[in-house]
Amino acid sequence: MSRWGYFARRLLLAIPVVLFGVTITFAILRLGPLDPVAAILGPNTPPSQYARVEEQLGLNRPLWEQYIEFMVGLLTFDLGNSYVIQENTKAMTLIVQHAPRTLWLGFWSVLIPLFIGIPLGFYAGLNPNTMGDYFASFGGIIWRAMPNFWLGVIFYSVLSQSVTYSEMLTFGVVQFQWDAWIVTNNIGTPPPLNFYNSNGTELLTVGGTTISLFSFDWEVFVRAVKMVLPPAIVLGSASMGNEMRLGRTAVLETINSKYVETARAKGLSRRKIVWKHVFRNALIPLVPIILNEAFLLIGGSVIMEQIFAINGIGYLFFQAAIQGDMPLVGSLMYIFILIVVFMNIFQDFLYTIIDPRVGYE
Amino acid sequence: MSEVTQNRTFFGRIAANPTPALIWLGGVLLLLSVEFSAFVDALILFGEQINPLVGGSKDIGGWYVDTMYDSLGFAGGTVMSALGALVVLAVFSVFVKAAFIPFSIVERLGLEDLPISADLLERSIVGAFLVVLWLVLLYEPLAFLPALPLIGEPTLAQMVHGFAQTMAGIADWVVANVPTLLSRDLIPNQGFNPPASAASEYPAGSEILGARIAIGPYHGTFLGLSPAVAWAIRVVAIYLYAFVWLVWVWQGYKTFRRHYRFADWTPRDDMIDRLSTHRWGQFGFVVVFLFLVLAMFAPAMGPTTTAQNIYNPYGHEFQYVEDGEVQTITHGTANLQSASQGTPDNNVGVMNYDDYGRFHPIGTLSERANGKDLFTFMADGARVSLFIGLLSIALSGFIATALAMVTAYYKGLADLIVVVTSDSIQALPGLLIYILLSVVFSSHPISNIYSGGFLLALIFAATGWPALWRAIRGPAFQVSEEEWIDAAKSYGQRPSATMRKHMLPYVAGYLLIYGSLTIGGIIISVAALSFLGLGVAPPTPEWGRAVNIGRPYVTTVSWHIATIPGLMVVFVVTGFNALGDGIRDAIDPQSEGSGAGESAAAGGGG
Repeated sequence: MSRWGYFARRLLLAIPVVLFGVTITFAILRLGPLDPVAAILGPNTPPSQYARVEEQLGLNRPLWEQYIEFMVGLLTFDLGNSYVIQENTKAMTLIVQHAPRTLWLGFWSVLIPLFIGIPLGFYAGLNPNTMGDYFASFGGIIWRAMPNFWLGVIFYSVLSQSVTYSEMLTFGVVQFQWDAWIVTNNIGTPPPLNFYNSNGTELLTVGGTTISLFSFDWEVFVRAVKMVLPPAIVLGSASMGNEMRLGRTAVLETINSKYVETARAKGLSRRKIVWKHVFRNALIPLVPIILNEAFLLIGGSVIMEQIFAINGIGYLFFQAAIQGDMPLVGSLMYIFILIVVFMNIFQDFLYTIIDPRVGYE
Repeated sequence: MSEVTQNRTFFGRIAANPTPALIWLGGVLLLLSVEFSAFVDALILFGEQINPLVGGSKDIGGWYVDTMYDSLGFAGGTVMSALGALVVLAVFSVFVKAAFIPFSIVERLGLEDLPISADLLERSIVGAFLVVLWLVLLYEPLAFLPALPLIGEPTLAQMVHGFAQTMAGIADWVVANVPTLLSRDLIPNQGFNPPASAASEYPAGSEILGARIAIGPYHGTFLGLSPAVAWAIRVVAIYLYAFVWLVWVWQGYKTFRRHYRFADWTPRDDMIDRLSTHRWGQFGFVVVFLFLVLAMFAPAMGPTTTAQNIYNPYGHEFQYVEDGEVQTITHGTANLQSASQGTPDNNVGVMNYDDYGRFHPIGTLSERANGKDLFTFMADGARVSLFIGLLSIALSGFIATALAMVTAYYKGLADLIVVVTSDSIQALPGLLIYILLSVVFSSHPISNIYSGGFLLALIFAATGWPALWRAIRGPAFQVSEEEWIDAAKSYGQRPSATMRKHMLPYVAGYLLIYGSLTIGGIIISVAALSFLGLGVAPPTPEWGRAVNIGRPYVTTVSWHIATIPGLMVVFVVTGFNALGDGIRDAIDPQSEGSGAGESAAAGGGG
């Protein structure tokens, strides 16, 4: 099968997956014992009002009608209005409002493991069975087994008492205050994302010609990065451990392969072998893992946003779920399902490009 | 082995040479007898779950039927209700038949000649029996039915209940009267150091088999030792006892291998040899063993009981010494006074006594949790985690194996359907679907069983089987291509028999690997949910809730509340991962640390 045929099939198979996934969500929401009308009105409401709201929301119609309406609504991205969180606000508006902070968090929690986990794993693989290897491997295992919610709590608490702890650890020599370091920021507030203003432009005159630049506030940017770092490190902790372990195995496997031996036999320098022959090939098995981790973050961000008080999508989902805001939960689920499914396809696509030996099955 | 012994069955071989087996069995009986009433106690605990289960099944079934009638109308509702009942019944019948009935009912009853499949008939009989039993248990006053007087007094229902009550009575008597080696009655750790004025009223030491022995000055504790030492002795004794069991089980395996096994060598011997040099896997085994013993012996582990500490603190009193006088106070009041609140004045830390002379090995919880003892909380919480983890792994493993057999045998459309279904379930982001399901079902009757633990186990099973199925699909496909499967087919063996006899044994090992690797993830997820205030409902303890309770105190002197439970999660999850690694390397040495097992291993997803 050709590559394009393979992807046509993958896309075709994605349709029932998405539909079925959304159907499961619908079944949980509508067939489950959740009562959205009670969630809106609270307890002790007169039955007449109850019936009116039920009528208004169309919840008294036959289930199959509701199902078709729900599916059509989702597929045309008409996600309906929120019931409880912000009444009569479009679910899409709410999601778009909350999305940037989660994306910012997700971006860093993918990036940090990439630049810490993989180099550490490669180092361990290149120096197997040394103290450094044991240290890195064992650290990776422990790091991976740490539950995010706990690690988040510890990070949050230690950072908010950074002065005491830095003094304690260095016997009073260093006084490190995290919230005043480089830029001042509060701990436990969402990171500011207005460093980049797409509307406002700055005019800059260079040598007689005027060029317009998008305004970019460096201080706010640094603050945003600094504030997102602790939750991102925690959120990426599991991926970091995973990438480290897999990176180590991949390097070990590559370095023991025949072509590396050949390269060594023909007298290539170790640096050249490592960078040209080992490094690039060892990256291949890591590609699917990295993308796999990326959608683990979707779920994990709920807890991080809860602990670090970042009002992103995860926070929105949690609130919507515990308050019984059905349309919002349904839409968020739909969007997550889409992301996961297309990320999967994208991952396979990338994989076949990077490693042409992979079969199309 | 000679020709004659080879052809005997296992029991035949034991009958021919009974000495080693009898020695081993004697050891088992001895080990059981010293802890007999504790085991009976555990049986009572299981028995007590039957009534809520039967009652709950009625609620849940009723809810299902109502929902179906509401949403699908009369005809659809009837069909769906009947279908649901049939599916549940079928699953239970197959399970009961496979697990509890070792002989063929059809053969016993002489029904082989009936023109339907023997298996189907057998399961139908079991199913019918289950329905009758369920009805009898559920509608106890069967005597009101007009037909029942024909059976006469006492009715069947009364007999069943009478039997159950008699058994419960006997069990209660055993628990109350037979001494147990590791109980808090024999090794008590709750006591006080009486002042000199009251020393004659409160003699030192505790009564052991009628004799009062005292080494230390304390009244009521084991040998009059301090509560801390008495508690430590009990915990060490429990672990020693569990260790002896472990050694004896291993001894039993060796006895079997030497005297009663048909073959001199099997591939399993090599697996065990590989495990015996796998240090990392052994580390995992030790950790898992520590965790299992903590969970299984939770009632005897804690320095105080769960009833005194968690469920009914105001219903239990104890004595302590204040201003040179012996006072009496309820546990609840004392707990509130000894909560850890983050200030040095209000803190009972690790390995400390509170103001009332009670010992707290890892401190107390904060006022939000009424200052309960953290160790008792954690020991009981270990039970909850273990119960959820094991039940969900068992359920999802069952689903995954059944589907893997079917998809590998039939391939094609069956495979495609399961692929789409499992992909859809896996496309739902993990933690979010757990949150959603636990919120949706939080007021449902099913969430009353084991404080929602049962519901969580079902949730994890329903969302967890695709990953397990994916993991064992490869090996199942591989074995389905083998020649012996073709041979079995050409002999005309029934597909179910081929799957069970020729495919399942090959796949079962992989199930063990992935089960061990995923159970850590489940423990983390359960803890994460209770951290968010969902899942296992208070007051039933759960590790994640302790982290949540201790959240404000991490940087204070009460750091233990959040830190120790978190570290325990890390420890246990690492242990399960290591054990999984060890089993994988033992079963499948070629895989050597790569493959899908890595991503299946528990990450701190929660």
